[in-house]
Amino acid sequence: MGFLRVEGLNKAFGGLKAVNNLNFEVAEGEILGIIGPNGSGKTTTLNLVTGFLTPTSGKITFRGEDITGLPRYRISQKGIARTFQLCKPFLDFTALQNVMVGRAYGQDPSGNLKTAAVESAEILELVGMASKSNVLVSDLTVMERKRLELARALATRPVLLLLDEFMAGLNPKEADEACGLITRIRAGNVTIIMVEHIVKAVCCISNRVLVLNMGSKIAEGSPDDITHDPQVIEVYLGKSHAQH
Amino acid sequence: MSTKQIIYLALIAVILVGLALFPFMTQDDSTFNLVILVFLYMTLASSWNILGGYTGQTNLGHAAFFGAGSLATRLLWVGGFPAVPSILAGGVIAVALALAIGIPAFKLKGVYFAIGTLALALILNITIGNVFPEMSYNPAISDYQIVPRYYLFLGLTVITIAAAYFLVNSRWGLGMMAVREGEEAAESLGISALRHKLLALAASAFFAGLAGSAFAYYHVSYYLNMPFGPEWTFDPMMMAYIGGTGTVIGPIIGSIFFVGLKQLLVWNVGEYHLIIFGVLFILIVLFLPGGLVEAWKKYQRWFTRWYQRRNTSPRNVIGTGHLP
Ligand SMILES: Nc1ncnc2c1ncn2[C@@H]1O[C@H](COP(=O)(O)OP(=O)(O)O)[C@@H](O)[C@H]1O
Ligand SMILES: [Mg+2]
Repeated sequence: MGFLRVEGLNKAFGGLKAVNNLNFEVAEGEILGIIGPNGSGKTTTLNLVTGFLTPTSGKITFRGEDITGLPRYRISQKGIARTFQLCKPFLDFTALQNVMVGRAYGQDPSGNLKTAAVESAEILELVGMASKSNVLVSDLTVMERKRLELARALATRPVLLLLDEFMAGLNPKEADEACGLITRIRAGNVTIIMVEHIVKAVCCISNRVLVLNMGSKIAEGSPDDITHDPQVIEVYLGKSHAQH
Repeated sequence: MSTKQIIYLALIAVILVGLALFPFMTQDDSTFNLVILVFLYMTLASSWNILGGYTGQTNLGHAAFFGAGSLATRLLWVGGFPAVPSILAGGVIAVALALAIGIPAFKLKGVYFAIGTLALALILNITIGNVFPEMSYNPAISDYQIVPRYYLFLGLTVITIAAAYFLVNSRWGLGMMAVREGEEAAESLGISALRHKLLALAASAFFAGLAGSAFAYYHVSYYLNMPFGPEWTFDPMMMAYIGGTGTVIGPIIGSIFFVGLKQLLVWNVGEYHLIIFGVLFILIVLFLPGGLVEAWKKYQRWFTRWYQRRNTSPRNVIGTGHLP
């Protein structure tokens, strides 16, 4: 244990405690799912770990190093990559150029742009976007944009990848494809934290699931434990269902 | 090298040779002055474009850097310093000034940089006007020669455009464009937005400063605050927009178009040309945000499609693969 360690993490927006005394650990090589209803603090947690927000208090340790409050680009260079809940592609770029940015910067960047282009093309192929290499982002579908966002994050050669609601808005067939893709990335020695709103989306591939409600952790365990936890069922479906 | 690249290189070589031989073809001072003005604008528009077009940071005070370069050079040179170090000093001073305003303004994010640069140029314009109220005369006025000045401007323009080209096609250039396209996404990929903005600003200010230096070496007599005037910010900005921001060729085309159209309008409608330029600028920003370069690309795409349809080819055209 101790690949990523989050201790006593708090984030307040004015009077609102978006993340409340959160503690958890991620082991190298696992897929950790984080679920919770809308507004439970999932995105905020992800923003805190990746340096997009500074915690009110608490400590984040990555591979033994305190990374709390580091600039977000430094955190990326340390091998922590992320995707955004609402995709943020570089709109005026082609798919290949988008990925090249990650390859030219990030961890272990390519020495020159030619190498970056070659390596980026390989990453596009990995996510099934080889044929879209020269297409402008504005001409891509939602699913293609998600794949691109993933490719771009992978281009930074991360060892820890945080996905924010990657499965949202996908139809069952696409969600299956996405699960396959994430499993394949995991097989390439990338530890993954998956944030999802829908329980089903994480449970098929996560090793462990953490449940948030109103900024606090309310449960943690295997997907099976979580789906049978009365408190989790209550949060998701309301009190009446929990009593059945 | 592809055939296309060879054609481009040959074209550039022909243009450069033509421009280098230009002084042997004319003796007319007003022709020289007009061409030098185009060179000056190309340098200002191209340098503005490095930061404004490629990095997406709106600089509303480019005149501050142009003015700082011209002031430093003029004072040193008139004070007896040799011309070359005086000119280089202009570029260096402009970079120092740019970093002094850029570092705090970029750290604050938002509109601070746009407002800060606007205020800087305004304040310097007034202050320099008060400190140096007298006309500055060229010390070399007795044996003033236009041809060396022509070559100075030609060299400066070529170096500026070449530097812009190599910068924007480098890794740093890719990073600058990524910052323009989305700062958060760029930083999530390991890019320091601040460093890229500062590099673009320093390059932008350096060439604007050198343009000011060349101006100081060229101009016979002027008030020292004149190069700090807002027209030295907004005319080059308009040229970059007319030609196409975020492209190397855009500011070049924009400058030629601007000076050409201005000459035509001044001859025909006098002062009303300002209104026409204002309307043109608004129309371009609203309906053709990519400027003339974008218009040309659209026409090419339309033409290719039309041509393919005519030949009933089933193949589809997709976007071009090279960097913008
Ligand atoms: N930048 C912010 N400023 C103020 N409140 C915020 C901000 N970001 C998130 N919040 C609030 O924090 C809570 C948690 O939000 P978030 O982490 O986005 O939830 P989730 O991703 O689980 O849906 C919500 O109540 C949200 O309104
Ligand atoms: Mg969220």
